[in-house]
Amino acid sequence: MLLQLENVGKSYGAIRALDDLSLTVERDEIVALLGPNGAGKTTALEIALGLRRPDTGTVRLLGGSPDAPSVRRRLGATPQETGFPDELRVDELVAFAAAHANDAPDVARTIERFGLSSLAGRRAGALSGGESRRLAVALAFAGDPDLVVLDEPTTGMDVESRRMLWSEVRTAASGRSVLFTTHYLEEAEALATRVVVLAHGALLFDGTPHALRHRFGARRLSYVGKPLDPASAGIDGELIEIGGRVVVTTADTDAYVRALVGSATHFEALEIAPASLEEAFLSMTGAVR
Amino acid sequence: MKLALLFAHARMIALVLLRSPGFIVPSIAFPAMFFALFALPYAKTTAIADVETLSFMIFAISGVCLYQFGVGVAAERGRPWERYLRTLPVPPGTRLAARIVCAAPLGIAAAAVVAIVARLFTPVDLSAAQWLLAFGLAFVGAIPFVLIGITIGYWASARAAVPIATAFNLLLAYAGALWMPPEMLPHLVQAISPYLPTRAFGDLLWSIVGSGNAARGLAVLTVYAILFALLASVGYRRDERKRYA
Repeated sequence: MLLQLENVGKSYGAIRALDDLSLTVERDEIVALLGPNGAGKTTALEIALGLRRPDTGTVRLLGGSPDAPSVRRRLGATPQETGFPDELRVDELVAFAAAHANDAPDVARTIERFGLSSLAGRRAGALSGGESRRLAVALAFAGDPDLVVLDEPTTGMDVESRRMLWSEVRTAASGRSVLFTTHYLEEAEALATRVVVLAHGALLFDGTPHALRHRFGARRLSYVGKPLDPASAGIDGELIEIGGRVVVTTADTDAYVRALVGSATHFEALEIAPASLEEAFLSMTGAVR
Repeated sequence: MKLALLFAHARMIALVLLRSPGFIVPSIAFPAMFFALFALPYAKTTAIADVETLSFMIFAISGVCLYQFGVGVAAERGRPWERYLRTLPVPPGTRLAARIVCAAPLGIAAAAVVAIVARLFTPVDLSAAQWLLAFGLAFVGAIPFVLIGITIGYWASARAAVPIATAFNLLLAYAGALWMPPEMLPHLVQAISPYLPTRAFGDLLWSIVGSGNAARGLAVLTVYAILFALLASVGYRRDERKRYA
């Protein structure tokens, strides 16, 4: 086990940031910490990195305390996007991060891997937002760590650069474990082998992206006609009637259609559309409120 | 302490410094300029020139210590980059050592410019051994100023650190009799002067040319070093509790 948070609680004054959160990262896992803003993702990450102390519960990072330098030698983390010293060049920053590893890792390879070759001689102060993000992620991998922790690696990037960075992270992640926060469901699905969803500081879901899609990624079926209760057909789902249409949200629309036809219920103008994942996800995380 | 880590951190600090000419040039030139304006007109005899040169070298060194550690620490401890540095496997002692390694050449350079101006335009007459001794003793005298700097760095905000370090630097230099002989100071200032770290630093260096009380200087400097080591460590812990609790 590379990271273990056990029953961690943390409050800032009256605000409960984390509520009895238990979370692990195993070898070779890429874990997404997913949740809306204010869900406690950043606090969980800061506690894992030793930047904050939990009020209750325990943290074990790479078999030790996050405070021990010997432990942190096997850890790679991202600085916040705007945080680089402006005067330093991209190659100097990557070399600086790499200098903390036990055996000298290949700086040039890290620079190339994250598409920074053409920017190597540029000062950090002259980078665009997306380039800064890329550099931040490169720094986390520069020291050849066993566990990489990325805080919202692609926030503020356009779709294309985001996809590119995902593929770079996927390649660089081989042979190590990654924990990253994101509020993009798509990002969690694209990168993670396991997804942990937080809402209001508590764990809402912990499972594979496939299971996540099953739970949050429902499809929406609608028709004009008599409502058929999904439960009566043995299907998980919700039925509402809006504007003269019956709207059923379920993960298994195929089974519902079969049931609908089988029941000889009168229906017309049938439509099936994927429910927006974000929407489903937000309604689920919001429901805990 | 791993030397490779010390080197990596010192290199980073040095690169940032070297690429900030707006900071480094005044740091080095300012004390010599003060020397040219206020000391040159009086430095007509070797005896006066010797003492004045050593005094302005102290002014140069104490300024570098107060700015490098005071303003430097205050500015950096609140930055996001500092949070990143904390995730790296580097002990705080190594980072402090890196800062010292970078401040030392800056202090030496600022003092050396004063010495060069003195050599060119005054009858200053120190032997090579005396010059060496002056720079050597300066390392000892600088210790309390490093600690005063760190104390300012941890107790003052980034915004307040600049005026506070400046006030410390100028007031201590003036009242510590680095700009004029103690007899010329107002009576009240004359009364406090012997207890100030700048005056004690002076006693230490002036002893090289036979006009200071090195033992008293060392004693006062030691008291300041202990006092500000305590204040700095309390400030450091307070900052740790506030930021990383």
